[in-house]
Amino acid sequence: MLEISNLNKSFKRKFALDAVSLKIPKGEIYGLLGPNGAGKTTLIRIVNQIISADSGKILFDGQLMSSEHLRSIGYLPEERGLYKNMYVLEHLVFLAKLRGLSSSDALKNSKFWLDKLAISEWSNKKIEALSKGMAQKVQFIASLVHNPALLILDEPLSGFDPVNVELILKELKELKANGKTILLSTHNMRSVEEICDRATLIHDAKILVEDTVWNLREKSKKGTYTIRFKGNMIAFVNALWTDFELLEQTEIGEQRFLTLVKMRGERSMNDLLNALMGEISIEAIEECFPSMQEVFIELIQGKESSYEK
Amino acid sequence: MRNSWIIALRELKERVLNPAFLWMLFIGPLLFLSCLYFLFKAGDEGKTSLKVLIADPTGMMENKIVSQETKAVKYYFVNDYLELEEFRDNKKYQKFDALIEVNEKILINKKAFVFYREAPSLDVKMQLKFQLERRVEEVMIAEFTNMEVDDFRQIKQALNVDFRNVYDPKNEASNLEAWVGFIFGLLIILFVFLFGLTVLRSTAREKSNRIVEVLLASVKPTQLMLGKISGIGLAALIQILVWSLFITLGLLFFRATIFPDILDFSNYEGVQMSSEVKEQLMSNIPSQRYNEFLDLVYKRIDFTFFLFHFFLFFIVAYFFYAAFFSAIGAMSGSESDGQQFLIPLLCILGLSVYSGYYAIYFPDAELTSWLQFIPFTASVIVMVKLAQGYPEGTYYLVWLSLLTLILFTVLFLSIAGRIYRNGILHFGLKTSLRNLFYFMRK
Repeated sequence: MLEISNLNKSFKRKFALDAVSLKIPKGEIYGLLGPNGAGKTTLIRIVNQIISADSGKILFDGQLMSSEHLRSIGYLPEERGLYKNMYVLEHLVFLAKLRGLSSSDALKNSKFWLDKLAISEWSNKKIEALSKGMAQKVQFIASLVHNPALLILDEPLSGFDPVNVELILKELKELKANGKTILLSTHNMRSVEEICDRATLIHDAKILVEDTVWNLREKSKKGTYTIRFKGNMIAFVNALWTDFELLEQTEIGEQRFLTLVKMRGERSMNDLLNALMGEISIEAIEECFPSMQEVFIELIQGKESSYEK
Repeated sequence: MRNSWIIALRELKERVLNPAFLWMLFIGPLLFLSCLYFLFKAGDEGKTSLKVLIADPTGMMENKIVSQETKAVKYYFVNDYLELEEFRDNKKYQKFDALIEVNEKILINKKAFVFYREAPSLDVKMQLKFQLERRVEEVMIAEFTNMEVDDFRQIKQALNVDFRNVYDPKNEASNLEAWVGFIFGLLIILFVFLFGLTVLRSTAREKSNRIVEVLLASVKPTQLMLGKISGIGLAALIQILVWSLFITLGLLFFRATIFPDILDFSNYEGVQMSSEVKEQLMSNIPSQRYNEFLDLVYKRIDFTFFLFHFFLFFIVAYFFYAAFFSAIGAMSGSESDGQQFLIPLLCILGLSVYSGYYAIYFPDAELTSWLQFIPFTASVIVMVKLAQGYPEGTYYLVWLSLLTLILFTVLFLSIAGRIYRNGILHFGLKTSLRNLFYFMRK
């Protein structure tokens, strides 16, 4: 859907993007991750042609990107605003028309989305009368009212209460199911785990890592398992012996424990089960995958410590 | 282009639905008409009795003007040459209110000058003019024809009587037409400033509330800037058009109700005329003699001609200055941040107004000729010069001035577009010259 090659951008001799390349496949939700100031917003602005790159190219559906493609893109910026003295429906129609819709289509689509997000009764209210969350919903609708093929969302969940976060995530999944491609820039790692197919991590203007979310977590796993069992803790520790290391233990009931165990050497889960069987009664065992939050922190910290070296 | 139009319509709607804008649509013309009313009334006042000294060195008037003098105008004669300065300064002439020099030139040119110390009232002016004209006619008939007085009056040319202040005999200070041009120029600057300020505030507000990033994902920065300037400019045009309409209606109302007698001779007491004579006078006498302001507004100013040029120059001057206001707005960190950059812009606008004032008094100066081609001052200068009247064959200078202004406007819009494009997404920056040059270079 979107292919970015060797994109460079600098402001006052400071690199904002340094040879950034990535591919966003059609129909996927793509997470754009990175600490503040990494270059995510610059990249998004270049894709939206709000600013231009110093060098590099962007292909949209295989074609060199031009202003014509902007009609196929929906954009929700991180720092977004609305005209406070306009009415909700009037504002949505105005923005939809700017994206190339006719007046009648703009009106029809705006009403559809106001209904879908259950704020149609606010259609004739002024923006200044809306709560922050309500205004966020209007901004979210504004980004997709023209039915774009690619949706670029910069921190779409900030400012929403948990109920509305779920609502927006559900809408994003539905959009994906309808064949839309979504580029999601967020610090909300739970949402990345939940809805993103792929993610890229930008740090200091460079792409640090790019893969599927599952692979990113897989690559960062530490060979740890959580085990819930019934039995004697001494027998459990003895069974682990030198092949496994007990990292954490929590007594959750009488003779019932929740533990975190790490493999040593080339040991597998089967080895662990063989060692424990007969010593304790295993209730549950699961390999531990790091959260995206942990992956993110580890990658950033790892990069920074490598710089320090 | 379509997006610029959508932006412009939104801006226009926001302005015209603003209660302050709607109020000003009515209050503005009302204030203007009130000022005009007082000017008209003021123009109706003046000295109600006059002692007129007639310097008649050849004695052609035979020391008489009318058989029965009225209280309003009394005539005295001196059969010698009398210099204007002597009449003005010599103590023995101070008791006379006005001087008329009568010589054979009056008979040839049909033009007489009345030099007054204090402006006479309309009534008195009318009487003096009428009585002097009658006497001159009698002298002419006696000197040059064998016709009867009544026959002569059927074919005669009216006497042109020019009233001038003895202290300003060349009539330099009462260049009323030029002042009208100046007021038109002043209105251009006033509207440019008011609506330019709206452009600045609106741009800065869009930047500070961050809607600009949403808009820029759909429209190019220059399209956004042009749309905004055009929309606010359309609101300005609507205001000016409505003002023009209301002021025209107000003037017609004045003429029909408050000043119905401005051209009606029968309203002037003490002047006995046949209806034929009245009719003749009506068609021949320049109405300047009745009420200078009324005459100026109703007779001497060609409003269609003026408004045509006013709108042309206003539109281009507005775009020229709005480019600056827009660039300042885009650079501002907040709505109030751009204020410091307003000071130099205000100085330029002030200079523009002053240049119009300069052109009134020095219409033929070389500097005035140059100022009409400088974009900052062109609109005011051209308005003044149009009012003064371009010498025959030089009207093309108006179009040349407009063309220069258009070229500079295009240039400044492109520079402003560059500053706008680079400045609008730089948040947290202070408006400074350094940033201005940085944004211009990028």
